[in-house]
Amino acid sequence: MSEAAQVIDDKDLVERARSRDVAAFEQLVSRYRSKVYGLAVRMMQDSADAEEILQETFLSAWQNLPGFRGESAFGSWLYRICANFALMRLRRRKVEGEATGEQPANAAANPENLPGPRFDSEGSLLTMPSYDWSRGTEEKALDHELRRAIEAATASLPTEHRSVFLLKDIEGLSYEEIAEVMGTTVPAVKSRLHRARLALREAIDNFYKRPGKQQDQATRSGDRP
Amino acid sequence: MSEHDHKHDSGSPEWVTCKHSLALLVEYLDGTLPPQEKAALDRHFRACPPCIDFVRKYRSTPDLCRSTMKEDVPAEMSQRLTAFLHGKLKAG
Repeated sequence: MSEAAQVIDDKDLVERARSRDVAAFEQLVSRYRSKVYGLAVRMMQDSADAEEILQETFLSAWQNLPGFRGESAFGSWLYRICANFALMRLRRRKVEGEATGEQPANAAANPENLPGPRFDSEGSLLTMPSYDWSRGTEEKALDHELRRAIEAATASLPTEHRSVFLLKDIEGLSYEEIAEVMGTTVPAVKSRLHRARLALREAIDNFYKRPGKQQDQATRSGDRP
Repeated sequence: MSEHDHKHDSGSPEWVTCKHSLALLVEYLDGTLPPQEKAALDRHFRACPPCIDFVRKYRSTPDLCRSTMKEDVPAEMSQRLTAFLHGKLKAG
């Protein structure tokens, strides 16, 4: 189903679910459960937490649907509910970690140390020639090693940077929606997004710089050396 | 492999550096930069192959990540979700 068709169909299902039509709500659950789970598991980096958030999100959506005015797409509204539950758990996890002296590695990561471009003293980009992986992204996504590299790079981002990246670039929320969910400002959201994109761009570039990978890709795409 | 060396005509009064240009990428790609600043970045990128390569990959990063992050709820988890919601929705 096209995105436009799905939005129209969502509106019909949401209207019926607002009128307490359980079957319509179940269709919405079926449509969105994978996306909600994907967001939750990547924010939490824990499938048990993600499952609880999945349940909490849909229960909360059912309870709050009568107040949903349709000012945003249903999916965006749902992802905001999911992000709220995830952020509450992450804050709790942080407080508990501070109390016990145990901190997850990514929560302790200093944003200043995130990988990114390097420049010379005049501000010129220092770069090495590397394989151009910017084309054919759908095909490249089938590479399991690349998937693992991206998963690892996403997991290693500081929590707030990872959350912003997931909400903006994966789920498509607006800067204003993200700022509201995260209790911060739009400029802060943009800054975190930029740092996260830089770190992930670097991780993917490094993946394709590995011995054998560049040649492998050039051969597959028919590129001339 | 040596790092690619490129020098710009930094004496130009309207010159912006790679560092300055890349720091504004979010706004540049969103199309929210003031026209004068956008024009300055356009001029820089036209004259700077390393930045062109960098921006191309930066722009593709979300697409590639999105394509790799398609997740399906495990079947058992999906059944538990259905059972959980049935219980709660019936309860009111």
